[in-house]
Amino acid sequence: MRRFLCIALLLTAFPAVRAAAQRDSAAYALDIERVEIAARRPLARIGVQRSVVDSAVLYETVSTSLAEALASGTTLFIKSYGRATMATASFRGTAPSHTQVTWNGMRVNSPMLGQVDFSLIPSYFVDDAEVFHGASSVGITGGGLGGAVALATAPVDERGWGVRYVQGIGSFSTFDEFLRVTYGGRRWSSSTRVLYGSSENDFEYRNYARKDFRLDADGNVIGSYYPLERNRNGAFDDLHLMQELYFDGGSAGRFSLAAWYTDSHRGLAMLDTDRNRERSKKNTQDERTLRATAGWERLRGALRLAARAGYTYTDMRYLQLADAEGLGNYFAHIDSRSYVHTLFGRAEAAWCPGERWSLTADLAVYQHDVASGDHTVVSEQTGEYTVRSYHEARFEMSGFAAVKWRPVPRLGLALNLRGELYGRELSPVMPALFVDWQLSRRGGVVWKASAARNFRYPTLNDLYFQPGGNPDLRPEKGWTWDTGIEWSVRRAKTSYELSATFFESRIDDWILWVNSGTKLGIFTPMNVRRVRSCGAEANARADVRPHADWRLLFDGHFAWTRSVNRGDPFGPNDRSVGRQLVYIPEFSGAFTARLSWRSWTASWKWCWYSRRFTMSSNDPGVLGSVAPYLMNDVSLEKVFDRRRVRISLKGCVNNLFNEDYVSVQSRPMARRNYAVYVGITPKFGRR
Amino acid sequence: MDYGPADQELLDCSQRGVFITCEGNFVSGNASLSFYDPARRQVENEVFLRANGMKLGDVAQSMAVRGGRGYVVVNNSGVVYVIDTDTFEVTGLIEGVVSPRFVHFTNDTTAYVTDLYDPRITVVDTRTNRIRDRIGTNGHKSTEQMVQWGDEVFVNCWSYDDTILVVDAANDRLADSIRVGPQPSSLTVDRYGKLWTVTDGRTEGIQAALYRIDAATRRIERVFSFEPGDHPSGLTANGARDTIYFINRSVWRMPVTAESLPEEPFLRHTNTIFYEVGVDPATSEVYVADAVDYVQHGTVYRFTPRGAPVDTIRVGITPGGFCFKPKNH
Repeated sequence: MRRFLCIALLLTAFPAVRAAAQRDSAAYALDIERVEIAARRPLARIGVQRSVVDSAVLYETVSTSLAEALASGTTLFIKSYGRATMATASFRGTAPSHTQVTWNGMRVNSPMLGQVDFSLIPSYFVDDAEVFHGASSVGITGGGLGGAVALATAPVDERGWGVRYVQGIGSFSTFDEFLRVTYGGRRWSSSTRVLYGSSENDFEYRNYARKDFRLDADGNVIGSYYPLERNRNGAFDDLHLMQELYFDGGSAGRFSLAAWYTDSHRGLAMLDTDRNRERSKKNTQDERTLRATAGWERLRGALRLAARAGYTYTDMRYLQLADAEGLGNYFAHIDSRSYVHTLFGRAEAAWCPGERWSLTADLAVYQHDVASGDHTVVSEQTGEYTVRSYHEARFEMSGFAAVKWRPVPRLGLALNLRGELYGRELSPVMPALFVDWQLSRRGGVVWKASAARNFRYPTLNDLYFQPGGNPDLRPEKGWTWDTGIEWSVRRAKTSYELSATFFESRIDDWILWVNSGTKLGIFTPMNVRRVRSCGAEANARADVRPHADWRLLFDGHFAWTRSVNRGDPFGPNDRSVGRQLVYIPEFSGAFTARLSWRSWTASWKWCWYSRRFTMSSNDPGVLGSVAPYLMNDVSLEKVFDRRRVRISLKGCVNNLFNEDYVSVQSRPMARRNYAVYVGITPKFGRR
Repeated sequence: MDYGPADQELLDCSQRGVFITCEGNFVSGNASLSFYDPARRQVENEVFLRANGMKLGDVAQSMAVRGGRGYVVVNNSGVVYVIDTDTFEVTGLIEGVVSPRFVHFTNDTTAYVTDLYDPRITVVDTRTNRIRDRIGTNGHKSTEQMVQWGDEVFVNCWSYDDTILVVDAANDRLADSIRVGPQPSSLTVDRYGKLWTVTDGRTEGIQAALYRIDAATRRIERVFSFEPGDHPSGLTANGARDTIYFINRSVWRMPVTAESLPEEPFLRHTNTIFYEVGVDPATSEVYVADAVDYVQHGTVYRFTPRGAPVDTIRVGITPGGFCFKPKNH
């Protein structure tokens, strides 16, 4: 039994490879049922506030981005400008840069901006998505003042060749193509994924932000109306490629390789207040990113060792183009280019000396090299692009150690310590303390609590951006605690999970980009704000199979978040102190309900955001807030399971009730729209 | 839910007053227009939205008044709205300008519009609000503020430029140019025909400077250098045009006959971000805009010409321009 407990602990301690171990290794899969039972309250999860994005949510449709999956499958707040435009995620009333994101153990937050654009992560490219709230993020990486999102790829389950092709066709000339080819052997397995999505994205909307005018011959207004118009300059095409290789070397350990390339070309849609013609003005954003990781891990007795290396390359180009004649002969007024290289290395060790103890440690290093600047300005003297640019390198290191102890079966205690180095600066030690107590073994009721101190150091743009970078910035300092109850019941045909958590966090020296005080549009980051957030999160899941042909799944989330500015006022007229931060909804909720009958599945996704203020003084007017909205998406899927092929047909109706709405000021969203998906999976001898 | 058309009101403010253009936040479409009645000390905010049932747009840059019409320049919406200065209702609009900055009237039927993303100055027939001509600028990429002395309109080229253009207003043609320091950000003219411009000091190794230029000879007469790290802006003149004001963290003023920069500010900054200064041409009262944190209602302070506080006015987001509506237009 001790051995199984240790395996369970070690596997849960390293989520990126856990699935691999469970799926492919005969040794690891030996007592999988027993592993699951032991893993119900594993040492590695003592007190951890963690949620897992359901695979049904991840694989909802081929056009689903991780931003949409997180919005409907977690309590994270997603600030989205529309499909294929910037989408950021924030926890518990913090900023997007306070959400740390890892992919196969490698942090992927931009070293320039500190945040991640989740619209660039197709959910079909993620096999495991775990969300760590508040203090629990310290176990993943540092700087997650709000939390952390851990993404991972995993080997395929099945032996032999596998192919899956999905095509999606939707409103606004939207096309998505997905192909995955897999091979699973005794030692080797491979997966190749390709996804190409494109859209004119020219949806129609009623523009309430501006009117069109009827004019007489002298140019005088004689009438006006709110026009029905199309989203302009919002077209995009995104290509994603991913190759994974896994090798089981037996006693030498398991080896993995994953490489993910993204080539994205996106138009940034014109504001609803813009009266320029489409051919007069155009903003575009192009990005190419390569992420690659190579890993090794070995489990021997009570000791597990792992190592990982990685590399990230990104080049981004933002172009602002104009042609006053409206002929499309554009001239670039802003040509902002950024080049980022990041080298990554990580070593991990976990030791389980007994049933009650575990010790884990890891060390991660990053070497960033960033060049960023506007290439429209050429020096008359040198002829070079020297204005408004910077080129900086930075070394970062993050060390982590944890001890977990379960003195009695009902009680678990854990202490995490993390320290970080950035450049020549050392951040103070980040401690995190966790406790859980099983209130009722029979009823499956567990009480959890955690508390942590955390720090986030400034990004390279914060320090060096030209113009405006501030090299004197201090790290942001966070303190957070939470407590909650979880209840779960699992029976043969039903399972239910309920959880409720209360949290509080304080962030000092919050870095905010503020205008430097002149009309030149120059912003400078400053440590200006103290923020206190408190609130509650609730989750409910149910899986009911009342009959062999029927299955009902429900996954619901609700969040109440008060995130308030407690800083010193900017001046005598500052009315932002004591007010909710901009774009943080006080209330939000989402659920997904899925009903299956034989080969048919109907699903209903619902989400709601309360009013979000866009002025720090919380003005509820049209110019100071974004109206609340409800969104309903439904779909119906039919699977045809034939001897040699499995075919799925799915139809979706998004924004079912044709609601006019915006999620971000002046960025209209699509009204009711439709999509159909065809999935083809040949069986290659498997039946 | 409650996303939809904005309520529309009938407003009537026929008295003289001050328009305050509030830029809002770039790419947020939350610019607004406020109207302040100095006699009653009353302000009406968001008058454009309330009178027209639609947003003003993205970045309200400036405003000018001519013949009972207000010309509100909305930079990142590519439009100049022509409004009735009493009811604030739109009576016409000037389109075909990509990124308009300022409007200047050379006579009763002609307006010039400068542009950040169009190298040319647009010539508009104010009777029809239609574009009549474009004035080429001989390789300059953008144009900014305009002042007139006689038949010549002087235009500063601010964005990565160092030039004051001279335009022959009689023929709508570029006549000459004057080279100053890098990035002249604002421009005014005094009662003696002297142009005043201030550079922003954002070019590495080159300090900001205030230039006095004779409009007739186009010769730079005097250069007043600022300290390193100073970034002056918001240059404007009083009603008598014998005193200029500008912002350099605090608000400063100096007589146009002075031979050195002032040593004491007109209004010292204390936890305030002074964003713009305007002087009422009729009363020489001084209005100073404080943007607070740029994402909430800004504040405008009103002072007598001697610097005594008169009123504090809460307006829209990032108040960045003052336009004075005369008594009888």
